[in-house]
Amino acid sequence: MGSRAEFSSQTLSVLAALCGQPSAWQHGYALARQTGLKSGTLYPILIRLADRGLVEACWEEEPVPGRPRRHLYRLSADGLATATAALAEAELTTAKVRPDASSRRRRGVAAPVVP
Amino acid sequence: MSWLSQAATAAGRGALRLVPAARREWAEAVWAEAHEVPAGWPRLAWRAGGLGLIAKEGQMTRRTVIGLAFAAAAGAAAWGAWPGSPVSHGAAVQGGIIITLALLAGGPLLTRWVLGPPDSRAARWLRAGFYAAILAVIPVQAAIGLFIGAVPRAGIDRHVWDIVQGAAGPGVPGSSSGGPDWGGEIAILFLTACYVAVILALTARRAPVAPATLAIGVGAGLMVGVVMYALAPLGLNFKYPDRPWLHGWVLELFVVLAWILVFGAPLIAGAIAGRRCHVPDDPGEASVARAWQGFAAGLISGGVGALFVTVLGGGTTALLIRSASVRDWLYHGQHLTASAVYGRELYASQNVTGYFFLLVAFPIIGLLVGLAGVGLANPAPRLPDGGGPGGPPGPGRPDPLPGPPDGGRQADVKELAGVGGG
Repeated sequence: MGSRAEFSSQTLSVLAALCGQPSAWQHGYALARQTGLKSGTLYPILIRLADRGLVEACWEEEPVPGRPRRHLYRLSADGLATATAALAEAELTTAKVRPDASSRRRRGVAAPVVP
Repeated sequence: MSWLSQAATAAGRGALRLVPAARREWAEAVWAEAHEVPAGWPRLAWRAGGLGLIAKEGQMTRRTVIGLAFAAAAGAAAWGAWPGSPVSHGAAVQGGIIITLALLAGGPLLTRWVLGPPDSRAARWLRAGFYAAILAVIPVQAAIGLFIGAVPRAGIDRHVWDIVQGAAGPGVPGSSSGGPDWGGEIAILFLTACYVAVILALTARRAPVAPATLAIGVGAGLMVGVVMYALAPLGLNFKYPDRPWLHGWVLELFVVLAWILVFGAPLIAGAIAGRRCHVPDDPGEASVARAWQGFAAGLISGGVGALFVTVLGGGTTALLIRSASVRDWLYHGQHLTASAVYGRELYASQNVTGYFFLLVAFPIIGLLVGLAGVGLANPAPRLPDGGGPGGPPGPGRPDPLPGPPDGGRQADVKELAGVGGG
């Protein structure tokens, strides 16, 4: 269902952050810190993922007194499968695009200097 | 810093109302989360991102562009149509312009509140085209009204004016009556209001009209409009039509084509729209849904056809009285005297009121014929036991077939279908 071509690198970073704790509800600010995304970028991504049924969202049931209720997010079952596949594909594609570089990295060999 | 943060908070809370209800909780979420962000610039940046989200989800850019485009077009139309001081009936024209623009500006807001915004590209394009047409008609109507009301002082032009307008015409030589009177203006305003209401309602989200239906209706209407414009580019007069382009058998062909299209286009549009739309499983609801598509496709085809010929025909007439090159283009190869030119201009200006007849008649013909098209293309389903509309209730839909057993052949399903289907 999901492939790397469908997701931008920023969306993949959000999926990766959510995949880190798939069963736990996470806050927007925590996701922003993990991904390094601004709120104006993070929330549109969360909205699109929720529209596609990949992310579940709900409001905090027991808010901290004196503060408004926070919105919580986690991957749905479909979202977890899609995110896992997309992240694996992304990793595979990255390895295919730069096979020499990755193999050199593994072997600790420096890249040749192109004249 | 604190006042900046407070200002951003206040702006955000006010702007939340601009976001559609389905998206509002997301904007509220950004705002709630801001309390977790460290105070100062980080929190301000977080809230700025929230405002960006509100602008994006509230489609502020599109709304702003649409609003500015409408304001510019409305201003240009009013500027082009606003009567000068010599016009004695200027108040009627000014009133007409103001009320028309108020209708165009307020109509979408009212419709949005009652029926929701347009939610398809076809709906938005239809609205945009309709607004462009109405705004184009405003200066055209004013220019023609001004010309037809201008009374020549004397000479052959005055003689021609007397013939076309009637010797006992209302004009005072050398002055201008300035266009239609209050009665005519009110009739035009009423018709405009009807068009605005129908188009806005049919293109709203909660209207039971599919986007494809809108497109089909517009396509059929444009065909009607093109043929009607070729036949009547300088107003509509059944008795003494002025047709500068068509002659001989081509003219007869277009007349036949026009009659066929006036009734055939909404018929076919209604039939296609009724067949294309997705309908509920319930036969009764499906019939109602199809009827809506046929009604809307026919109504839109009639309205678009009439509006198309009105805008182009009115525009051609307005250009005829203002531009010598358009005059030469229309009457190419004809050597017309000055009085003959004036007579044709006056005649065309008077005949433009004939488009009013099309604006009323075509939508009515369209909706009736469109409904007939749906009925012809989608006859009421007959139940096997003879039950139908008005008859005894049938046995209802057969139960769904069971799935094949594990390892069962596809042929088994076909056999079951043969049994179940009777």
